[in-house]
Amino acid sequence: MSEAPSAPRTVEVPQEARDRARELGWEDGLIELALQQGHTLQEVWQALRAGVTGEQAKMYLARGARVVRPDFWWMRVPTEWGIRVRPKDPAMGLQLSDLMVGTYGDVPDVWTNRSEIARGSWPNPVVEDMGYTIFEKAIVWADCVVPLYEIAIRDRWAAATDLPWSTLEPLPTDIERAVCQFLTEQSERAYFEATMWAGWLPEISYGFLELKLFLSTVIFDLARHSEAFRKRALANGGGLGLQAPTDYNRIVKEARTFPELAAVLFVQDSMLLTLFRHGERIAQNQLERQLYALCARDRERLVEYQVERLKHFLYKMPDRREEQNLYFSKAEGRIAKEWRDPAVWEPLAILLGGGTDRIEEGRRMLLELRKAQVDDYVANLRRATFERKSLNGRLVAIFEEATAPTATA
Amino acid sequence: MAVNPSTGQGEGLDLSWLDLYDDAASATPSKKGMTLADINLGRYSAEARGAGDMTFRLRGAIPRPNAQRFGPNYQSKADVWAENCLMLYEEAVQRQWSSARDIPWETLEPLPDDIERAMCQLCTMLTEVEFIAGDVPGQWLPFVSAQDYEAGLFLMTQIMDEARHTDVFRKRALANGGGLLAQGAGLGLRTLIEARDFTEMSVLMHIQAEGFVQSMFRMGELIGKTEADKRIFRMSAQDESRHLAFGVMHLKYVLDTEPERREEIHHYLDKAEGDAAGGGSGDVTFPPVFEALCILLGGGKDKFDEGVQKFLLLRKRQVNEYLHRLEVAGLGDRRQRVGPLLRQFVEAA
Repeated sequence: MSEAPSAPRTVEVPQEARDRARELGWEDGLIELALQQGHTLQEVWQALRAGVTGEQAKMYLARGARVVRPDFWWMRVPTEWGIRVRPKDPAMGLQLSDLMVGTYGDVPDVWTNRSEIARGSWPNPVVEDMGYTIFEKAIVWADCVVPLYEIAIRDRWAAATDLPWSTLEPLPTDIERAVCQFLTEQSERAYFEATMWAGWLPEISYGFLELKLFLSTVIFDLARHSEAFRKRALANGGGLGLQAPTDYNRIVKEARTFPELAAVLFVQDSMLLTLFRHGERIAQNQLERQLYALCARDRERLVEYQVERLKHFLYKMPDRREEQNLYFSKAEGRIAKEWRDPAVWEPLAILLGGGTDRIEEGRRMLLELRKAQVDDYVANLRRATFERKSLNGRLVAIFEEATAPTATA
Repeated sequence: MAVNPSTGQGEGLDLSWLDLYDDAASATPSKKGMTLADINLGRYSAEARGAGDMTFRLRGAIPRPNAQRFGPNYQSKADVWAENCLMLYEEAVQRQWSSARDIPWETLEPLPDDIERAMCQLCTMLTEVEFIAGDVPGQWLPFVSAQDYEAGLFLMTQIMDEARHTDVFRKRALANGGGLLAQGAGLGLRTLIEARDFTEMSVLMHIQAEGFVQSMFRMGELIGKTEADKRIFRMSAQDESRHLAFGVMHLKYVLDTEPERREEIHHYLDKAEGDAAGGGSGDVTFPPVFEALCILLGGGKDKFDEGVQKFLLLRKRQVNEYLHRLEVAGLGDRRQRVGPLLRQFVEAA
């Protein structure tokens, strides 16, 4: 204990401190004696936290010593020492991948610590359970999260200043309203998805730190997408339209486990990536072209994670392969239902066709785009070693009906 | 304006969604670009917030009559709102930085063993603390109504900020011949996860915990021994300022609009100040953290006593800045009620 500079002499001793003192065998009155000798309550608390016994405290106070030398036990904990990581790629700087060395890079198949301990540090002997529920690497992990985290940070952009707002020019009313309706839906979808990933963060234990860091970039990306879509909708004489349909989002919300959440979102993440990759076809101006391209670049990282996570999951947990069909089928069915919603497909058909008067042509173009979305989705599943033998009937029906004379997109 | 588009029931066109735009918006960018403040217009503005619903319908979007609910979320604006969240979101987006490239890692140089170990111990504690600070807003985001959209967006930037802090302190611990050391104390961190109300969480995390961390970061010139270390603290402090600003203005909004919650908020603080001297900032009185800070502040193990004096100054600064922030938020009477472990550091107003 050190000399206190100017501590008040009359302080209320918290019950927690008294209880701790009793546990350590401090006699009644010893805390008051320490305070009378000029030690602060902070220092008394410090001694209690350090496990100073009643006998030690009594001896120390009796000899009027001023300082109890801490023994710095934490300097001697047997963690891996002597680490000097350096950037492997100077252009990218010091990346997470550079830290994956020795024991610090060992991401265990099962993480057993239930506290918020940083992986690689020396655990406290007794800690409270922080309530994490995900301890298996196979559930959440993909090796690509390590580089993707840094790439996400490198590729960050700002909707306020990185898009050419001043170049916006008035569009025909039907086109402007189609843009606004499409972006109202997309803004809500991005915002909603961000909140869903965010809600799962506290479930994931700290063994999978890098995955949590990557998901944080996903949440931030989706925030920017939602923001940018809203800004565009309010910038050119339009406004927000009808809220997004709720069927698909509800099953995201209803997911009971992380693998279910990831599987359900896989479907939309892949479909939206393809949509934004085709942004040139629906964009009406340079701003929208840039916006969709930036969103596609961000979503590529997310889909990369989705593919690699699923692949790793299926490899480690092959008995859960068939179960995934249930989630994919459910998600495909809900997406197909929403693709038939007029406030979803009509704006896209107008944008693709070039106006309300050309909506039939736009509908045909949309069908091609939907086909590309589904093809890419199936290909992404295949990259993850997952073969969808038959897609959900609602989704298939969209393309089967297209051959009929009065098809809907 | 109500429309209810049919979903593939007929083959004809619906197009009813084309008739929803009787309140056209043409936001123009300001000198800071197209900001959230620039699109805060008419029926889309935060001021025009109507009743919440339990869907994720964004403020200003037209409701679907058949929209399903998604479970409970906050219905009252005061529950989650801060008047500065539009500005803070934009600032957060503009001021993102990269722990990989914006820290001059090349300026790290071998330090005396005691100093390096102390720095690594501090970083071990901070990397632990910072990701709890990312989990916590994650926990609450699903309960923030999309009517209070910008508050939600701000929390998403906070998650990103905390990820970067987690990452930068881990990098620092592994970059200069050291490593991670003893796990920091969890005391106080559980308090943040345990909060059952957004305002409770915000007061404990944004104002108390991040406030204490912020006061520490602002002494980074004393704590850090290399330019890289000092830069880490400066950049992190910049981010923490936004989180604190959100918390202060959220509390102000609550106290301005729901003054009946004052005693309830005191109750949360009574508990938190009693449970741990450092609140949710990670317990700086936990011996490894306390001792590491004293070594860094003093300049070595052999100057530990000088370090203790500076540590006490840090505690004084933490507590008084904390009380000042509460005062700005309208909770000036906290000064008279502050918990015993903090009271000894209170300076006369």
